[in-house]
Parts: sequence; C-alpha cells; structure tokens
Amino acid sequence: MAGSVLLVSLLLISCFEASCHGATLSSLQKTLIVTASPKKGQDLKAGEDIITVTWSFNTSFPARTDSAYKTVQVKLCYAPISQLDRAWRKTDDNLVKDKTCQHKIAAKPYSPSNNNFTWTVQRDVPTGTYFVRAYAYNSADEEVAYGQTTDTHKTTNLFQVEAISGRHVSLDIASICFSAFAVVSLFGFFFLEKRKTKNSQEK
Amino acid sequence: MCPSRLHRQLFLSRRASPILLSTQLVVTIWKFETGQPSKNTVKFNMEGSYGAPESVQKRFALPVDSEHKATEFRLFSVAAPHMRAFHLSWVSFFACFVSTFAAPPLLPIIRDDLDLTATDIGNAGIAAVSGAVFARVVMGTACDLVGPRLASAALILITAPAVYCTAIANSAASFLLVRFFTGFSIATFVSTQFWMSSLFSSKVVGTANGVAGGWGNLGGGATQLIMPLVFSLIQNIGATKFTAWRIAFFIPALFQTLSAYAIFFLGQDLPDGNYSQLHKSGDKHKDSFSQIFRHAVTNYRGWILALTYGYCFGVELTIDNIIAQYFYDRFNVNLHTAGIIAASFGLSNIFSRPGGGILSDIMAKRYGMRGRLWALWILQTLGGIFCILLGRVGSLSVSIAVMIIFSVFVQAACGLTFGIVPFVSRRSLGIISGMTGGGGNVGAVLTQVIFFRGSRYSTETGITLMGVMILCCTLAIMLIYFPQWGGMFCGPSSKGTTEEDYYMGEWDSAEKERGIHMASMKFSENSRSERGKKVESAPTPANGTPNTYV
Repeated sequence: MAGSVLLVSLLLISCFEASCHGATLSSLQKTLIVTASPKKGQDLKAGEDIITVTWSFNTSFPARTDSAYKTVQVKLCYAPISQLDRAWRKTDDNLVKDKTCQHKIAAKPYSPSNNNFTWTVQRDVPTGTYFVRAYAYNSADEEVAYGQTTDTHKTTNLFQVEAISGRHVSLDIASICFSAFAVVSLFGFFFLEKRKTKNSQEK
Repeated sequence: MCPSRLHRQLFLSRRASPILLSTQLVVTIWKFETGQPSKNTVKFNMEGSYGAPESVQKRFALPVDSEHKATEFRLFSVAAPHMRAFHLSWVSFFACFVSTFAAPPLLPIIRDDLDLTATDIGNAGIAAVSGAVFARVVMGTACDLVGPRLASAALILITAPAVYCTAIANSAASFLLVRFFTGFSIATFVSTQFWMSSLFSSKVVGTANGVAGGWGNLGGGATQLIMPLVFSLIQNIGATKFTAWRIAFFIPALFQTLSAYAIFFLGQDLPDGNYSQLHKSGDKHKDSFSQIFRHAVTNYRGWILALTYGYCFGVELTIDNIIAQYFYDRFNVNLHTAGIIAASFGLSNIFSRPGGGILSDIMAKRYGMRGRLWALWILQTLGGIFCILLGRVGSLSVSIAVMIIFSVFVQAACGLTFGIVPFVSRRSLGIISGMTGGGGNVGAVLTQVIFFRGSRYSTETGITLMGVMILCCTLAIMLIYFPQWGGMFCGPSSKGTTEEDYYMGEWDSAEKERGIHMASMKFSENSRSERGKKVESAPTPANGTPNTYV
C-alpha cells in the first residue's frame, strides 16, 4: 500500500517540479493604472458588497509597450498586515511561488482603455485587508506587466473584507442536539448497567 | 452463563475423564462457586503452559488458557468475547483518531474562515495532543476500576460533543478549545491495550495489542483522505466552503457516537463477564485505587517505558501535525499532494505497528523478555537514525522514501513497547498502560514545543534534532531489568526470583489471605513463556512447595 502511494506521489511531484521557474514581479513593468471602488479603510461584506474595478494602459509609457499584451487578470490580493504569521499568503518575487493574490476577480482580453468590471465579493473570501492588482499576460500566458491600486510598499488605499462565518442556525441547533443526545446516552448506559447487575444478582 | 451449571458440567467431566484432569487446571471453576482459592492440584503439562479444561474450552470459540484468555489471534473471526472485543476496540479507537486529526487536512479552509495565524494553528495542534496526557492516566485508572468497556464507551460519548461543536467554532480560541477536548478521546488507546491484555494470553498479547493499536492509529492517516473527500462531497451538494467544512465534522462525530453504542451493547470486559457482574458475584475483587496507584508509580519500568514511548508514539503524533506543512513549504507541492504524503505516513500503521507486536511475540518465543527489550531498542534507534536523515535530505522523492521507512520503524517501536507493558505489572496494568500512553502524548507536546513552534528552528532542522533526541531517550531501555527474566545486558537474577515472586510482590499478606491475588497468580504462571526457549527447567518458587495451592 505504501509502495503504490509512493509511486503516485512521485509521479505527481515530477509534474509539479517542472513548473519551478517563472517571471518575477520585480522584472515586470507597472504599466497599468488600476482603480477600485472601495475607499480607503472601507469595510466590505463577503457575499453582499460589490467592487468595481477599472484598469487602463498608462499612456505615459511609450506607445508600443503594450503590443504583447493579450489578456488581463484582475485579482484580490492580501495586504502585508493580513500576511503576518501566515506563511500560506507569503509574497515571493517569483510569481509561480507567490501567494499574495489568491482570489480572481476578472479575466478579460486586453484593451488599452475603457475596462471595468463589477464583482460581488465572493463568499469564500476570508476576513482581511486587501488591495487589487491586475496582471497583463502575453499569448504564452506569461505575466508581462501589472498594475495595482496601492503603492509599492502596499500601505495606501487598502480596504477590509469581512467574511461570512459559515454558521447557520440549523447547524448550531443540530450540534447542540447531538451533543446533548450523546451525554444523555451516557447516563442511560450507566443506568442500564446498574439495572443489569441488579437483575443478574437477583437470578 | 450460570456459574452453577458450569460447575455441574465440570464435576461430571471430572468423574468421566481423570486423564484429562491430570493435565488441566480446575482452579477457576471452583472459584465461581466459593469465591475462594482452589483446593485442587495444578498440573504442569509438557509444553509448560496451562490449558483450560475441555468443557470450559467449549464455551469459547478460540482456544483459551487458565485465565480464559485466548491463546490464538484469529483476525477474521468476530467470535465473542475475544475477537469481538478486538474489533470493537480497534474500530472505536480508529474513530477517535479520525476525529482528533480531522482538522489538519481541512486547515486551509478553516484558517481562512476563522482568520487563524500560524501561531493559532500551532497552538491548536499542541492542544489536540496535550489533553490526552492526563486523560490517558485517568483512563488507565478507570479501566482498573470499572473495566475497559464502560470506561471507553464513557470517554467516547463525553468527547463526542466536542466534535459536534467544532461545527460551531467561530474564533481561534474556540477552535483551540474544541481541538483540546476532542484530543481527550485518543485516551481510548489505553482501554484498547488494557482490553487486549485482559483477553489475550502472553503468547499473542503483543500481536493483539499491536494490531489494535496500529489499526486505530491508522485513523490519523485515513482522516487526511476521508475529510477532504467528505468536504468536497458536501460542497458539490451545494454548500459554500465555509459551511461545508462545518457539516463535514458531523461524520467523524456520528462515527464516534455509534462506536460507543457498539462497545456498550456488544462488548465484554473479561472472558467470563463484565466487571460489574463479576464484582457482584464476588469473582472479581473490586481493587482499591490507592493500592493500584502506589504499585504503578513505584514501578520504575513504567516510567522508563513512558519516556521511550514519547519518542516513538509522541514523534508519530508530532509528524501527523507538521508533515503536510513541511512538504508544502519546503518542496512547494500543493496542499492536496501534501495531504496524500501526510496520509501515507499514518497509513503505514496498517502493517508496521502490528508488525512490531508480532515481532515482539516472535522474539519472546525464542529469547523471552530479553528478546522483546532488544528488539524495541534496535528498532526505535533505527527510527531515530531515519528521523535525522529525513531532516537532512533535500530531494523530494528521497525525502518521501526516507519518511516511509522512518514511519515503519517508529510505528513498529510503538507495537514493541506494548509487547512489554502487559508484563510490567498485573495489578496496576491499567495505570501502567495509562502512564505509558500518557508519556507518548507528553513526548508529542515536548517535541512540538521545543522544535516546531515559532521560528527558532527551520522545520528540517527541527526534524533532525528530534531524531537526535529519539536516540538519546531510547537508551533508557537499557535500564529496564526484570529479576525473573533479565534485562538487555543481564540475565535473570541469580537468586532464582520467579514470576510469582515478582507479581506477588504487589500484594501484601493480608490481601493474600483474602485470596484477592489469584488473578495475578494465574498470570504469573502463564507468563513463564517470557523465559524464552533457552530455559530448560522451572526453578522452585522461593516460598513453599511447587505448584500447589492451599
């Protein structure tokens, strides 16, 4: 059994080891201007509130810089304070290993201006502080440029999201009922045991 | 079973087959009637073991000895009481392990829902294994006093609410609390080992303990596969992520509750009945807690085994908690793959821990208790060496291979430890089992606190240093010495100490006069097999004529 698990895992690993090297964030040009509707410090509720994102090409860059851009992906990214003591959200310059932006807002074909997207904050977005970043991809699906709503140090223009708890009243009631049932069963067991002993004694 | 009917049966067989009698022991049957020591002679048969009379034999599906403990272990039988109790105990222990380690595979979702930091997760992991330190000792006492059936059913039912309430956790603090209380349930390990030691003779006790313990521990590996599966099933039905994981916890909780019911209604403490019945009929004396406790804590062997168990089982628990993250962080595999790797560590329990128990029994057959001690030391030391290696290898595939070899040695050492524990004490078997089991959890807490908390050591350095600690603490096995059988480096005492001397030392003369030491007496005779094949003749007991009871 262990042998087959070993084999399967070795196969899986060899697939993953292949995609080890990718673009780095520091090598990308920040040619996109991205704005998002939440104001600084605003609190959004997951599953209810919306974010409207607009992005466009920064025309202060030379005209033909965006000739390779084919698609754009807009993502919701963790601010440094939400990455504290959470290695699974770590920022890494190598974009393959980078875990800063884990929630996809939109994926659209590239156009230099007039881009916007309205997104309802999804229900699986955790509580935290965020900003929005957009990546531009070339035809080989590699990152070639980016833009974000905050500055380089990710300190300005951040907003909060409050997650759903996932709890429901029915779940709460079910938990409490089953727990009570377990405890009552225990007392039932002791009572039954005492009665069995008394009966066998009387036999 | 009505005692008087049994007596009549045997009385007839006595008249009908005197030849049978001359090679068999009748003590137990008299005791049913009078509650007093037997007035019959005990005969020693050719192989040096005491079989039970044929009429008694017919009561049980398996061959039994004078204590009615099974002398064979038949895995595919569910015959009451021996094999049925075996299956009940390993399945319920498996359920408890599934519940206790149900959170780690779902952590990527739970940590987002409850906004946990790495410190919160680490603390919850430590809490999950620390509750059982105390619970295992208490469980040992409970088994000695009320029997393993009631003790384990009670513990499983009391901890089931903690698993149900995991579904309503809403903060780091509540998460820690539910993991802490759920962790108490793996104290059922002690009742499992105690129950097996009460139902299986010394020839097969290592095997029974090893298989029951190993297949229970399997839960820690199986849960890494079960919980993600249940979670995705619930998600597919339509629940959102943050609700689906909560519903998923009802599965292990229900499994746990059902196993408690099965134990209560289908299980039996001893071959002859349950503790409460036997207490009332006078056949089983209700022992005093203070005496049991005193004899347990003053037996240094219990403490040494508690220490060394912390560095095989404790290490296993620590690895269960940290290995998925280790592979995820160091080798950048995705969480699903990391979960499969983590599962394979726990799943090797299916053969490695039972293998340790079987090896213990094989070594005992040839070399007696000394063989058991040597086998334990060798395998646990090898486990330590492979642990050091695990932290040093840098390639993913070699790392997985080393981890699997490491898991086999460490889990076999767990099985070997419980091949020795039943012989440390007969009177205080429960508390000694509890102490050893608790020591396992203490080892898990210690290693996690020293090596895997905060950023003092990288995880790979922590693993290597844990391996070094395994090597050092395993040396303590060299200090274990049984005067009747010897230790690793010394043979049995030249004074001719016998098994009776060792086990009767736990009872004072007043208690012996009341005749409540008889179970230990029978056990001492049956444990002669721990001398190994090399011993030719049985030495005379130091006080009185051989093999006669008055």
